[in-house]
Amino acid sequence: MTPASYGREDEDDLSMKSLPKRSLLVVVLLAMGSPVFGDSMTQDGVDFFETKIRPVLVEKCYRCHSAEADDAGKLKGDLLLDDRDGLLLGGASGPAVVPGEVDESLLIDALRYDLLQMPPEGKLPDSVIEDFETWVGQGAPDPRDRGGERARTAEIDLEAGREHWAYQAPQRTPAPRVIDASWPRSEIDRFILARLEAEGIRPVADADRTALIRRLSYDLIGLPPTPEEIERFADDPSPTAYDELVDRLLASPHFGERWGRHWLDVARFGESLTLRGLVFKEAWRYRDYVIDAFNADMPFDQFVREQLAGDLLEAETLEDRRRQLVATTFLVLGNTNLEEQDKEQLCMDLVDEQIETTSKAFLAQTVSCARCHDHKFDPIPTSDYYALAGIFRNARAMDHANVSAWIEVPLPMEPAREEAIRAHDASVAEVEAQIKALRRSLKDSGAGDRILAVDAVPGIVVDDGEADRVGDWKHSTYSGTFIGAGYLHDDNREKGEKTLTFQPELPEAGMYEVWLAYSPGAGRSPAVPVRILSAEGDSEHAVDQRRAPPIQGRYVSLGAFRFEANGQAYVQLSNESTQGHVTADAVVWRPVDGTAPPPDTHSSGRSELARLESRLKDLKREAPRREMVMSVVEDEPIRDLSIHIRGSVHNLGEEVPRGFLRVATQETWEPLPEDESGRRQLADWVASEQNPLTARVVVNRAWHWLTGAGLVASVDNFGTTGEAPSHPELLDTMAVQFMEDGWSIKSLVRRIVMSRAYRLSTFAETGAEVLDPENRLRWRMNRRRLEAEHLRDTMLSVSGMLDRAMYGPSFPETLAADYGFESRSSRRSVYEPVFRNALPEIFEVFDFADPSMVVGRRDSSTVATQALFLMNHPFVIEQARGTATRLLAHEFATLDDRINHAYRLMLGRSPSPNELAIARGFLAESTLDEREAWSLFVHTLFATVDFRYAD
Amino acid sequence: MGFPINRRALLQSAACGFGSIALAGLSAARTRAESPADLLSSRAPHFTPRAKRVIFLFMQGGVSQVDSFDYKPLLSARDGKDMPFDDARVLANSGKRGSEQRIMRPLWDFARHGESGRWGSSLFPEMNRHVDDLCFLHSMHTEGVAHGPATLFLHCGATVGIRPSMGAWISYGLGTESENLPGFVTIGPSAGNGGARNYGNAFLPAAYQGTALGKAGAPASEATIRNLSNPVRSPREQARQMEFLRSLNQEQRSTGEDSELDAVISSYELAWRMQMNAPDVLDLSGETEETKALYGIDREPTDNFGRQCLLARRLSERGVRFIQVTYGDSTANPAWDQHSNMPAHEQHARRVDRPIAGLLADLKRRGLLEDTLVWWGSEFGRTPYAQQKGTGRDHNPDGFTVWLAGGGTRSGHAVGATDEFGHKAIENKVHMHDLHATILHLLGLDHERLTYRYSGRDFRLTDVHGRVVEEVLA
Repeated sequence: MTPASYGREDEDDLSMKSLPKRSLLVVVLLAMGSPVFGDSMTQDGVDFFETKIRPVLVEKCYRCHSAEADDAGKLKGDLLLDDRDGLLLGGASGPAVVPGEVDESLLIDALRYDLLQMPPEGKLPDSVIEDFETWVGQGAPDPRDRGGERARTAEIDLEAGREHWAYQAPQRTPAPRVIDASWPRSEIDRFILARLEAEGIRPVADADRTALIRRLSYDLIGLPPTPEEIERFADDPSPTAYDELVDRLLASPHFGERWGRHWLDVARFGESLTLRGLVFKEAWRYRDYVIDAFNADMPFDQFVREQLAGDLLEAETLEDRRRQLVATTFLVLGNTNLEEQDKEQLCMDLVDEQIETTSKAFLAQTVSCARCHDHKFDPIPTSDYYALAGIFRNARAMDHANVSAWIEVPLPMEPAREEAIRAHDASVAEVEAQIKALRRSLKDSGAGDRILAVDAVPGIVVDDGEADRVGDWKHSTYSGTFIGAGYLHDDNREKGEKTLTFQPELPEAGMYEVWLAYSPGAGRSPAVPVRILSAEGDSEHAVDQRRAPPIQGRYVSLGAFRFEANGQAYVQLSNESTQGHVTADAVVWRPVDGTAPPPDTHSSGRSELARLESRLKDLKREAPRREMVMSVVEDEPIRDLSIHIRGSVHNLGEEVPRGFLRVATQETWEPLPEDESGRRQLADWVASEQNPLTARVVVNRAWHWLTGAGLVASVDNFGTTGEAPSHPELLDTMAVQFMEDGWSIKSLVRRIVMSRAYRLSTFAETGAEVLDPENRLRWRMNRRRLEAEHLRDTMLSVSGMLDRAMYGPSFPETLAADYGFESRSSRRSVYEPVFRNALPEIFEVFDFADPSMVVGRRDSSTVATQALFLMNHPFVIEQARGTATRLLAHEFATLDDRINHAYRLMLGRSPSPNELAIARGFLAESTLDEREAWSLFVHTLFATVDFRYAD
Repeated sequence: MGFPINRRALLQSAACGFGSIALAGLSAARTRAESPADLLSSRAPHFTPRAKRVIFLFMQGGVSQVDSFDYKPLLSARDGKDMPFDDARVLANSGKRGSEQRIMRPLWDFARHGESGRWGSSLFPEMNRHVDDLCFLHSMHTEGVAHGPATLFLHCGATVGIRPSMGAWISYGLGTESENLPGFVTIGPSAGNGGARNYGNAFLPAAYQGTALGKAGAPASEATIRNLSNPVRSPREQARQMEFLRSLNQEQRSTGEDSELDAVISSYELAWRMQMNAPDVLDLSGETEETKALYGIDREPTDNFGRQCLLARRLSERGVRFIQVTYGDSTANPAWDQHSNMPAHEQHARRVDRPIAGLLADLKRRGLLEDTLVWWGSEFGRTPYAQQKGTGRDHNPDGFTVWLAGGGTRSGHAVGATDEFGHKAIENKVHMHDLHATILHLLGLDHERLTYRYSGRDFRLTDVHGRVVEEVLA
């Protein structure tokens, strides 16, 4: 709908200056003498141009399509209309004018407001458009000539582009010599120290053990150490105490919860969609997959392959197959606008989201710019974008409807369970067949004919008399079977003139099954259009009124929909394009939770029918669970995509073969097979040791997650607009080692935390502060803000209320929409539902990763709403009270001991003498009872600066 | 507690003005070190502004332009006739042009009003009395046929992707004039159709996010800011706790200069001031009976929206930059969405008409209308023909009317026109991007220079589009 919404046509001068060397090569292609104009350039032709055409161009077009606009950075669509070469060469969509060919000329198309619509502020008068048609028909005589000096086209120079550091294969460098050879504990440290020595900066002292265990605990498992753990580590004389602590934390199942959450930030993991709040009931499986992958130290290249193409990989065991399918949920977690009405646009929006996520998450590339035009900064041409898009476009991710649906596929199960499901399906089919047969016989015997009172119908009934009528509807009781006083029919006349609209008053929001009661007959219409508006949007149905209604000989079910309480809702019958009578008796909304009893029955046939229907319901309720998973399905046939000019799905250019990013590939790849999408090959390309980006990107992410700043600060952008690495040789060497270690995340983490650089204190030493205020050279450890999850998990853990159960769904299965959902769980935060309309408030307030975007680096904002939350939110008060109760339950020799314990519990350290004195004073002056006094004390500690940071 | 002024001073002294600061990028590392007060400190615009603040009256769901302010006599003449139209929904679904539709006359009578003689129907009798203060834009068009996309587009300038809301952009551009209140407040926001995205900061610093005051569907008399008061502690205990917190924090940061910790500490001071001051702003009891009556407060059906409008005036007086008031609900098919029952427009109109007229009158007599821009409108309009030949109208993104008032707009004026049926904008078309550009312009901001660097490129509210509609300017 906004074809150019990812594009950016104008650059500020300043931003261009801030770029490193420009990697675009502007090629001047045009040096034409324009012989094509020769014949048409009569004086009459020129006069016509001067009087009828040029003034319109000047007044209506030059603002955006002239050399002047270009100079002002306001040129649109790369199209110049103030020069005849510009007209001929055209812009992004192709030539504006084809002399003599009126219907081939995009300029005419745009003026006619056909596909393109120009000028944007309104269509020009028909007479003006006719002048342009005449002019083009005459061969578009145009005396304007700038000698082609401005005509240009930009072409990306891939060879030059590959010179950017990130596109070069990483190389191992021997660790440099350092002067102070006693300082380094690891290879990493020699890289760090060599730079510091070169700059004349001395690193600060190591962190003390209390700070270190708190830092390491939050970094590796996201929970604080207990006072006992702190004490043990602080007093441990063993030279390997730290190594053992690292090993213990790496082996903890909480490691996967902490590091899995990092990846969930990157994977824009969410469990609902912003629009309509539809919930992803199966997304938790992916969350658990990620946690398991980190706990099991799955090789990262395998992790990449499974997420991008798990559905296409060979699987040795059932477990592998299940895991690989769950991994592909990665592809469909985007916050998609499923109600986009232009479904081709919707598909390309979804593909774009997949490209954006994949390229950022694994490669730290911003590829989406190339949806509309060649990337302005990075050597990524539009053709590369559509080569990638072709791969993803062959994976069907939605089934279309007014509100399209994401795809869930069955998870393969143990043979015994598969068999149970098959058996169950067979029983269901049998009962359904019996019901069908019984219905037929009931209908033949005419057993059900009778009149039903409106209030005898279970559910919310809108009788025909209450419907809004358009056109002339006839009242009838002829058939003898109806609800209320009769039914309505359209008299088989004035087709397309009549509608009946049934609007319910629904007391509660929820799922309702919609039943239409009608009067059947041979002369009825076989396809009565019925439109339903529910909270899920519009849907259209056709009812064959020649057939007897399948339920009770009276109703047909139109399906179950979610409705708001007294929201906009209707069922509308129309006689548009119908042949035969259209009838309507009533519409019934039946709550799906089963509170509406089955319709009243009398005859034995009916009670048998009721019995069978109830049996069917029971069977369905008791059904062995068919586990489902969000995934994609490969489409057939496999096809390439055309370039979408300026990103428009309705303006296609040349077709491009499916492929990868050329700039990040040193060699050419085999053409992708015609019977496969290429997603498997894409996964291999991303996870390849030859890919210059993947290993570097993940090593850098780990460095960022452990120290608060990546060696490349722009962790999601390794392009030319990103930042250069502070220690390129270190980054490269670690990337190579990482691959040699079999892409092991745990080895990578261990390598970093074992370095001395990681173990430095956060003390800002004045001399170094002046030379390197941002600590790019790592002369100290960065002090870091605790994340939302840490604040919550820490409060729960110190109050003793933390539930450490792992895995599983995060919200009730019956939930239909996320609006207003409030979790009451006290499990770890990674298991809180990530609802895009209803994030847990503490997440929202404390910079939780936006679940709709790839977030490799969370914000760290300071806003008043955070202070209000910590001071006033009932959760914080409850945790403070819980913690106070625990503190008071312990025996302590003195008040100071209790204060001391509280400090170690919450801040991981002992109070200073001053702090002790202040705390004593506060507690002594309190007029509250002991528990409340301590609650207020704990609550205040939660609000202090130190609680929110890890040193 | 003093406000650090270094940043403000820097902004004012920078030779290349605000744009360059934006380009330099408020990186995460820098924003972390800045307190909310720094980020929200009042900033100079790009050029002399006509308006200092905006009140946006959002009519959620889609008010029918042909039943309110866009008078098309042809609809009455051809009422009930079938003829082909390029219906936006049909076009998006199937690419089919010229689907057959049944023309439906306006259900309310039109008349000329005021000295300017602007047309208005009996749907909004009170607003009609103010047409001489309004500047109508009859040629609006936008993106998105469904509520969700169109509502996101209205607020954020994009139907897809994650973009900051307009109020966040304006807070980022201008800061707030209030020491005790956020720069962007949204009263009674809807949870549906984008929900918090519609007042979110997306990739801008969190200080610029909209602060919700109540929510759609809940009574305005109970609207407040989240966590503004403590549910259990007495004010005295809280004051004591605050004093205790100050001394603990002072101990913790005693190791010298540290702007980041200072920022955290100052956020508590701002929160404390909000807690002390905001309840007063939200308390309408000090308003005179005459004022309350002006807004239709304490009587039905206007009480609720009247309270919301009066809150908007009180916030505007205290320097909040962008105040949105939503008339809507949290359903997927919101209030002004009469697909099947057009007469129900009347019941919504009765609830908002007097409060809006009251707000205009009140702003005017207090001299606030001069530098307060009031914007009234929906995410799109409605079709001039009946939906499915029924008794309602479907969505219409191709032509609809909004109005602006005050803040340096041309009063008693009308810009642009739709076709003879009121279906598509044809004359002097104003895209939603253009409206955004124009509103920023009225506030002294150049929509092409109000940029923020994220993910390697500079983003704008208007993306690569937008033109300032000069005709709107007084």
